[in-house]
Formats: sequence, C-alpha cells, structure tokens
Amino acid sequence: MKKHKLDNLIICKRCHTLHKKIKLHRNTKALCKHCGSVIYRNHHNIIETTLALSISAIIALMVAFSFTIMTININGIYQELNLTALFVVIFEQHFYLMGIMLGFLIFLFPLAILVSIILLLTLMHFRRSGYLVKRLLILTAKLLPWSMIDIFFISILVSMVKLFDYAQIEIGVAFVAFILLLVLDIIINKQMRFNELWRYYESIYGVKNEQS
Amino acid sequence: MKASTELKMSNHELIRCPICEAVNLDKIGEIKCRRCGELIYKHKDVSFNRTLAFLMTAIILYFPANFYPILITKKLGVTQENTILGGIMVLWEAGSYPVAIIILLASVFVPILKFIFIIYLLISTEYNVKSSKIDKYKLFYITESVGSWSMVDVFVVTILSVLIHFSAIQIVPGAGATAFALMVFFTMLSALSFDTRLIKR
Repeated sequence: MKKHKLDNLIICKRCHTLHKKIKLHRNTKALCKHCGSVIYRNHHNIIETTLALSISAIIALMVAFSFTIMTININGIYQELNLTALFVVIFEQHFYLMGIMLGFLIFLFPLAILVSIILLLTLMHFRRSGYLVKRLLILTAKLLPWSMIDIFFISILVSMVKLFDYAQIEIGVAFVAFILLLVLDIIINKQMRFNELWRYYESIYGVKNEQS
Repeated sequence: MKASTELKMSNHELIRCPICEAVNLDKIGEIKCRRCGELIYKHKDVSFNRTLAFLMTAIILYFPANFYPILITKKLGVTQENTILGGIMVLWEAGSYPVAIIILLASVFVPILKFIFIIYLLISTEYNVKSSKIDKYKLFYITESVGSWSMVDVFVVTILSVLIHFSAIQIVPGAGATAFALMVFFTMLSALSFDTRLIKR
C-alpha cells in the first residue's frame, strides 16, 4: 500500500476499528461506527480558536498558582492554602520524593503542556520553523497523560468536605481561577485532536520523504 | 452526523501511532512512524516484559501503600494513624457518604481493577484466550484513562497537611502516601508501555 493511501485511513482511538476518511461538511464530526466516539471533525479555524483558549487557560493557571485557593478559620486561627505553601510544608516534613512528584504532576507538566501548545500553535499560525513544531507536537502528546490538574481540583473539593465540620472555609481567588482553568482545559482537550494538527502540519510545511 | 465508512479490510497489517495517530504499516521488529518519526514500538517481547515488570513493582508497592498509615494526626501530643481503609471508615461513620464512595472507588477499586485488567491483557496475549479484540482494545483504553484518578487520596492528604498545620493539632502525610503515589506512577508506566500490537497476536 502506498503512502498517500494510508493518509485516507484512520484508526479509532478507543476500539481500534479501521475507517476510511471522507470529506466532512463544515463544523460536523465523524463518529466511530463501532463505539460511537468522535474520530475527527471538520473545524475551519482550529488553530486560532485553540490558541485563544490556551492563552486564557495559561492566564487562569498563573492566577490559580499564585493566589490563595482557600482560607480556613478554626476558632479564630487562620490558615491559607496556596501552591507555594503546599511545597514548603511538604519539604519541611521531609517528604522529598512526594514533593518532587507533586511538583511535576500538578505544576510543571500542566505548565509545560500549555506553553508548548501556545508556542506550536503560534508558530503554525505564522508558518514558521517546522522542525520545532514537530518536536513540540511530539512533546505535548507525550506529556498529556501526566497532567493531573483536574485530579488536584477534585482533591481540593474532597478536602473541603472533610474540613467542613471543623472549620469555616473561605474560598480564594485561585479557586475560581481553577474552575475556569478546568473548563478551558476540557474544551481544549475536546477540540484539539492531534490527528488534525498533524494534518495541518503536513499541509503547512509539506511532507518530507523520510520513509525508508 | 455519522459519516465515516468502515472498511472491511483487516487491520492486521496496519497500526496506529500513539503519538501522532497516523496509520502505519505493521512490520516485524522496530517501526518508525512515517509522519512523526518517533519509534512506535520496540520488539513485542520487550514491551511485554516491561509491562510485566512495572506491574509487579506496582503490586509490590500496593501492600505498603495499604498497610502503612497514609495520614498521621498529632493532636496535643497524641498521635493517631490512619490507613486508607481506616480513613474511608472514619468518613463513612461521620456520614459523608459521597466522599467516602469517591475515595473508595479512586484509591481501592481503581488500582485493583487496573491490576486485573493488565494481567488479563497480558495473559490473553500470551495464551490466546478467545475473546473479542475490540473488547480488549476498549479495556485497554479504560485502563489508560482511569489510571491517574487514584492520586486523589494522596493529593487530599497533602492539602490537609498544609491546612491543618498548627501547634496544637497537626496532620502529617505518612509513609503510605509515598508508597501509594509511587504505585500509581508505576501502574501508569505499565499501561503506557503496553504494546497494543500484543492484542492482535
């Protein structure tokens, strides 16, 4: 089978059923025949919309990481939760391994993913430096399963419920920013399909014949 | 709109690149993706052994994660230690059932389910168990996507240890928390290193 023929095929992410691609109408999507999940969609300005969403996501992320998430009040004693306090306390208690893991999972990886998405979409928008775009696309795909920002938010909610009986809880600015970040993250993940980005990459920078 | 046409052709000789989702020809041995140039998979046996090794590490770590305390409460000099199951019991008795169920699901059932799924996938590839391949692919997809949710308990413990940090009462994460975090890490590695080509065999 030849190369251009393989480009017309697509394999479903969930059940690995082979499909033949057809041209879609504007703003429609193709579903898998077997499991019904979305395989690809026609989105006429995927780069620009995703870029806008990820820039607002990174602003929300910076707010969420630098301000107070919540303040608790137990009989007049106040205690704040923010991300710096989290790492300081963990390292003070000598949980170095866990501190490093948390630092990567809830801080560095989400930040790296958003930065590389913004960088690669900007480069694609201006049609510059194809090699860097390629590396960034690969990096983002590899990092994506390791971001645990959504799980961290659920943990914040769970610990709020646990503290509800003992303490008064005041919600901080960063909590709202976290909600915003999560919503944006879900929209970005739903919209940004790597398959389509790679197709755009090929149409912008041209296909190189590297196959041996 | 249901638009894609399913092909009758067998997808035996085709493989999906996990990085860029391009369709590639399946060859014996190493394959480099034709689009992103990344190595798709090494030899199948390497993938099998690596998945098994990570899984065994995770299973070994599962025991300290459950038997060592995950949460230590120091209240006026009195120390109280809670394991994961103990913490769930306390929550259940306190009457917050939804949270108890969330933690029970995320930190007890999800790891066990992941162990069982990966062991089943490995056994079925080795001994050719008769079952539908599509079901196995779906099982693998579930295993991949549900994995990181077990971290909830670890995160909750760290958040509590930051918030309850007074001289009279203090919450400290225990050794079980580190073991648990490592266990989740290794189960995720195990799922990531599983080669979907093994299912086809």
